Amino acid sequence: MVAIEVPEVEYTDYTNRQLVAIPLAVLAVALLILGGWYLATGAPADLGVEFTGGAELRLSASETSDLEMGTPEARAALEDPDTFSIEPSSIQYAPGDETYIVTFRPEDLPEDAGSGDFGDIAGEAEAAGFAVTGEDIVSASFGSGVQTQALGGVVIAFLGMSVLVFAMFRTFVPSIAVVASAFSDIIIPVAVMNLLGIDMTLGTVAALLMIIGYSVDSDILLNNSVLRRTGGFYESVQRAMRTGVTMTITSIAAMIVMTIVAWVFGIDLLRDIGVILAVGLCADLMNTYLLNVSLLRWYSFEGVSR
Amino acid sequence: MIDAIKRNWRVGLLVVAVLGATIVLFTPMFAPDPGAEGIGNGTDTGSADGITNLQFGLDLDGGTRIRAPLVGYTATDVEFNGDDPATVASNVAGQLSNTTSTGVNAELDDPSEGGTGAVEVTDANVSETEFTAAIEAAGYAYDGVRPGVTEETLEATIEVIEGKINEAGLSGGSVREIVDASGRSFVLIEVPGEDRNDVEELIAERGTVRIDIFIPNDGNGTRNRAVVTQDDFENVGTASRSDGGGSYVPVSIVDTAPAGEPTPAQQLQQAIGQANQQAGNPGTDGWKCAANPADRGKCAGDYTQSEEPRLLLVVNDRVVNDFGMDGGLLQSMVQGTWANDPGFRLTTGAGEDSFQRAQQISINLRAGALPAELGEGSSSYISPTQGEQFKTYSLIIGILSVFAVAGMVFLRYREPKVALPMVVTALTEVYTLLGFAALLGYPLDLAVIAGFIAVVGTGVDDLVIIADEVMSEGDVSSKTVFDSRFRRAFWVIGAAAATTIIAMSPLMVLSLGDLSGFAIFTILGVLIGVLVTRPAYGDILRMLLTDR
Repeated sequence: MVAIEVPEVEYTDYTNRQLVAIPLAVLAVALLILGGWYLATGAPADLGVEFTGGAELRLSASETSDLEMGTPEARAALEDPDTFSIEPSSIQYAPGDETYIVTFRPEDLPEDAGSGDFGDIAGEAEAAGFAVTGEDIVSASFGSGVQTQALGGVVIAFLGMSVLVFAMFRTFVPSIAVVASAFSDIIIPVAVMNLLGIDMTLGTVAALLMIIGYSVDSDILLNNSVLRRTGGFYESVQRAMRTGVTMTITSIAAMIVMTIVAWVFGIDLLRDIGVILAVGLCADLMNTYLLNVSLLRWYSFEGVSR
Repeated sequence: MIDAIKRNWRVGLLVVAVLGATIVLFTPMFAPDPGAEGIGNGTDTGSADGITNLQFGLDLDGGTRIRAPLVGYTATDVEFNGDDPATVASNVAGQLSNTTSTGVNAELDDPSEGGTGAVEVTDANVSETEFTAAIEAAGYAYDGVRPGVTEETLEATIEVIEGKINEAGLSGGSVREIVDASGRSFVLIEVPGEDRNDVEELIAERGTVRIDIFIPNDGNGTRNRAVVTQDDFENVGTASRSDGGGSYVPVSIVDTAPAGEPTPAQQLQQAIGQANQQAGNPGTDGWKCAANPADRGKCAGDYTQSEEPRLLLVVNDRVVNDFGMDGGLLQSMVQGTWANDPGFRLTTGAGEDSFQRAQQISINLRAGALPAELGEGSSSYISPTQGEQFKTYSLIIGILSVFAVAGMVFLRYREPKVALPMVVTALTEVYTLLGFAALLGYPLDLAVIAGFIAVVGTGVDDLVIIADEVMSEGDVSSKTVFDSRFRRAFWVIGAAAATTIIAMSPLMVLSLGDLSGFAIFTILGVLIGVLVTRPAYGDILRMLLTDR
């Protein structure tokens, strides 16, 4: 039978510098990606309809038409320039729900139209032989307000977490280790999202906030084990690691399952949350057991005695 | 026995929580009122699915949600210089070439020192600079101009939309105000089962409004119909409070007409004069229902009992309000001087509900026109069948996620004594949380489902911490060893819970997203977990692992 055994890591084989190098390099690459994105597109990530404005239709088979979903004919009907008065920016298919998700962007609107005036796209889809099972419309001006708020929300959450962590540990190095690894846990998934071509949505914002919560769990566990418990440094790390890795892998498993199933059924909100959490938790494994451990080791062996 | 209960009070608490959740979820006592007027009752917009008392939101039940700001600009702290609000409004409107005075409203906030208040323009054609220029040109000082309308207009708009949804017989609909983090107000409209076009048409629908005069004619009452028609209203104000404690709605009538024709205002005073004559010039003190003050009560609710003429407000061919007439106003109409300044106030007395009645009259006078139009916002629609499918999918996603967690836990511990209670505890957490959702009447939507999954995630994390901690360093044989280890584990859990709560709390405030449900249920779940279910798991583990 397969069993999960958390492997023992020989930390003594590596210097702090070596241990820290990997997570810092990954973080630097992630920051470079975000910076590059910002220079190229004006935003650190690709923003979804909720933030930029736009429209999204969910289309499934209509009772009055024999167009079958998932066939080349159905896709051709959607891609036909005569179907919609506004050109769709993307067409996705959710096999589990036999549904197409068609997205329209505000920049494709005719110049004289208002930023939220997508006309009768639902009626046009019905005329092409689809049934409209969902329609979302966000005007650009409304979206930019949501954008500001979401960014503000993440910043406030992060600051709140930092203050709480400092209040709990009351020592600088262990606290900053937690905060730094939480920061990296947020940045890395956003960079990965850009690379995978996933848009930033409200779901991803929720997931980023959730990462703040999850990421701190394993860090607190580690800090607590090293700072508050008797026993040697390596023994304490090993103990915290056994528990922490189990926790994180369990959560990653749940998130991967959620992502796959939600993708099959075309539930974007749950899919987005799942992807971000899965990537963020993987980043957390790295950051906790390389970055955080080496900072703590420096603190325990050198920092305290100074 | 009592000792055993005492020792395991945490398990007891869990059992109580589960029983409580069961009662809330399944007994008819907590069933949501079917067909209750959900209008305006906060978030209570969902519908029950029949088996449980859970309510579902628009994502899972189908329907349309529209969020939009109201179009307009409001100047704050405007000095009225002693002018009454109607005069201020018409002076400002006079400086604007591209709007009628219906598009400008003034509200008196503070009557001292000539009065200060707010002036708003609700016509989308007027820009901010045009509006500020008009106020300055009209000679009023003001503090600042912000986008949006006054609170009174916002409330009146919400009420008009509510009225429309009610009249259309759409149950479970709701209209309310939401304020975003920057303080801007939005109107949130939720209508189950309808698509966006239907809802937008319903909101845009206009009715007809007119004023008739009822002439008693010795018991054979006749009506002089349509002495004022829809187009004759120059301005319909919002409900205002008068100094005497009563409330009123200011109304003014158009006083312009093509050359050679009488203006609507002149026609109205002529019609009033005729009606007064037809009724035999009843009392110089105005139209008061009956000459004898003791008999005046009989008009309440039945205008046909009136011995003197009455004005009838008719909306969509139905009489909705009726009014007598003040002596001074009647005199000026009979003498023909009223048309020079063709305004009047529809008053609602000094009763307790007088302001609400004035608001209702103002709404009736508008016949379905919104006091301010909905601006650019967002709308979302999910069809009822799609909502139904989302329910099934969410259930499948939830079950599979729990299986994934359970699988990992079994692989790690290979000890059913540890792993099984862990999975069961995580499930009871979700169950208790569902009980809370039913108790609060909070409609479940996809964001809340995501919150449940997040709770299972943090829950299992904590249970792993507890299990590892109490089983570390050899066997747990005595209660004291167990307790000290448990307390250590609890410090970590509490700290982690506190950070999660802090991290999620901004989302509760960001009311623009659909994510407040996610935040609320993640936080609730963490609280239930830390206070009830996770400690209970510790007790269960102790019972299974220690000798006594």
